[in-house]
Amino acid sequence: MASSAVASHAPAVSSPRRIPPWASLGVLFGVTSALSVLAFGPIGVSGTYPRAVGAVARAVAPDWAAGAPYLVKMGSVVTPESLLVVGLLLGGFLARRLSRSAPPPAVEIVHAAEHRTGTRYLTAFAGGFLILFGARLAGGCTSGHIISGISQLAASSFIFAAAVFGAGMLTAKLLRARA
Amino acid sequence: MTLLYGLLVGVAMGAFIQRVGASSPAVILRNLRLKDLSVIKFMATTIAISSILSYVLQAGGAAMHFDIKPTYVLGVALGGAIFGVGFALGGYCPGTCVVGIGEGRKDAWAAIAGGVLGAFVFTLVWPIVEPLLIKPLNFGKITIAELLGANPLMVAAVLAVVFLTVVTLLPTRPGRTPTT
Repeated sequence: MASSAVASHAPAVSSPRRIPPWASLGVLFGVTSALSVLAFGPIGVSGTYPRAVGAVARAVAPDWAAGAPYLVKMGSVVTPESLLVVGLLLGGFLARRLSRSAPPPAVEIVHAAEHRTGTRYLTAFAGGFLILFGARLAGGCTSGHIISGISQLAASSFIFAAAVFGAGMLTAKLLRARA
Repeated sequence: MTLLYGLLVGVAMGAFIQRVGASSPAVILRNLRLKDLSVIKFMATTIAISSILSYVLQAGGAAMHFDIKPTYVLGVALGGAIFGVGFALGGYCPGTCVVGIGEGRKDAWAAIAGGVLGAFVFTLVWPIVEPLLIKPLNFGKITIAELLGANPLMVAAVLAVVFLTVVTLLPTRPGRTPTT
């Protein structure tokens, strides 16, 4: 009885042959990314933000929108990329719903300085501002530049990835971790 | 039809990001602090498979919709640095915050709001930024295969082997007992 309990317990504790999630999900995402290039083009997210800004601007201030060269350059919001962003929302929702694990915390405290929930909202907002400003300046984000860009061997994407991880690791080091 | 493909790719991508934990700002910060390499390994595996498969498909005669981003050194490097600071501050990417909303994270809404404002401010400063950071030192749409004068399939194969070897050798949680 005791030995069978130990035996049934053992594989759950140490199963070196089990494929880790990062590997299986990475292979699946890699195949998806290549099929995306085959179907319509490389995956990318950050361009949808200015295209959405453009769509709203054309509705509320058409003259200003027509005279904003960046909005004109980015074009219509009706693109496969915009639908991809809608898909991210659905995919996140479904994966969470179909999972047996506990739901994520509504607000996750990540830095020592975020001692109040309000501070967390501020850092998330400031972080969101910087990632979009930076991504638009560089011409892509984690998906468009790093995943798609490096997959396509683009020289610019290697520069972008080095800058992101260099600045990101340094900033993470300077901001104290939650104790 | 391509709109539908976009939606399907997005649903799959959102599910993979949620399952690997990349939509968690705490997981992102642990990766940037090199305490947990799961997301970095996930990305490197994705790139390796995507790269080799894309160039194999192309070599097999498929019409691939490649879209190489231009190498304007100043804007790409500065934009990447700004992105890196924001990434460490908020723990979100432009895509992972959308996934985060899908799985019920409230701070992801703040990240999206900041992102929309960031995109709007960039639109306003574009006429200043373009002549200063985009047009100078712009080498156009170049790949490292072109720089090396090598066959892209060969370069993709080498990149895939190097990335997959590194992720296999590195521990997922440095400093702890290596399990995966």
